[in-house]
Amino acid sequence: MDIGQVQDLVENDGIVFLSYGGFLSQALISGMTEALEKEALSSDISMGISNNIFTIFIELAQNMMNYSKTQHKDCQEIEPGGLIVVSKDEESNYYIQSQNIVSIDDKKKMEPKLIDVTTLDKESIKKIYKELRRSGKGTHNKGGGLGFYEIAKRCDHIEYNFKKINENKFYFHIKTKINTHNKIKKDK
Amino acid sequence: MDNLHIEETKYTPEILLNTDGTISLTGKSYPENTFEFYAPMIEWIKQYFTTSPATTTTVNMEITYFNSSSSKLFFDFFDILEEHSENNDITINWIYDEENESALEAGEDFIEDFEDLNINLVEK
Repeated sequence: MDIGQVQDLVENDGIVFLSYGGFLSQALISGMTEALEKEALSSDISMGISNNIFTIFIELAQNMMNYSKTQHKDCQEIEPGGLIVVSKDEESNYYIQSQNIVSIDDKKKMEPKLIDVTTLDKESIKKIYKELRRSGKGTHNKGGGLGFYEIAKRCDHIEYNFKKINENKFYFHIKTKINTHNKIKKDK
Repeated sequence: MDNLHIEETKYTPEILLNTDGTISLTGKSYPENTFEFYAPMIEWIKQYFTTSPATTTTVNMEITYFNSSSSKLFFDFFDILEEHSENNDITINWIYDEENESALEAGEDFIEDFEDLNINLVEK
């Protein structure tokens, strides 16, 4: 993946403090989460907001690890990977975004959930989340099918798009915003 | 039946399952494969209730943050506890840091979902 795309993704959003492009593994995700923990400790955001940032980051990164269909130009092997960027703007809004390649079948599975999380209010999202968790309807071998709803519960805004590469492949880009206004750390 | 102890890692909690009825999960939870990771715990708890449950069972859950598949897993774990709550004295302590409002919300959600379980929110 072209690392130059990082600049396009964060153009207007200020300071980037974590960006990664390429193969993803659990060890890498864990290392990057630790880096985010350090960043959060040095800022004045509350523990609750920090944990929302970590959770969204983990959901997006593990999604890419499990589903991304990145293929090298010169070989047939498919490996999990993509681009993930965490940034903040001057008003301390945090942005977590990712981009990876998905198949048309995955796109079809993701779209109804993405429409839910970008159109419904928080209460409705919470309701769907709890129903899905209870019924186990979305459950598959890697998880509960709750990821996008988990993200939506924990952020203030979600945008996404699919960009066609060919008949079967799409770039999937998702951007989440976490507003930290009026949520700064309590004085001890 | 033996006690089961699973050591903490950077992305999985320390798990203590004791036949004297004290159970605890402490740490973070975002395993690579959640269901596989927790399978021994689920197996243990099922066996515990069918063979030799202690007079009282206390579950201390102190999870700083967790991914959505862990959320599903905890739900299924509580579901097992609820199944056995009629014949067993079970208490769950959902322990959270006073500043960790997202952990508090997660605990409140579990209370709403499991009316028959005795879940206490315990602020640290």
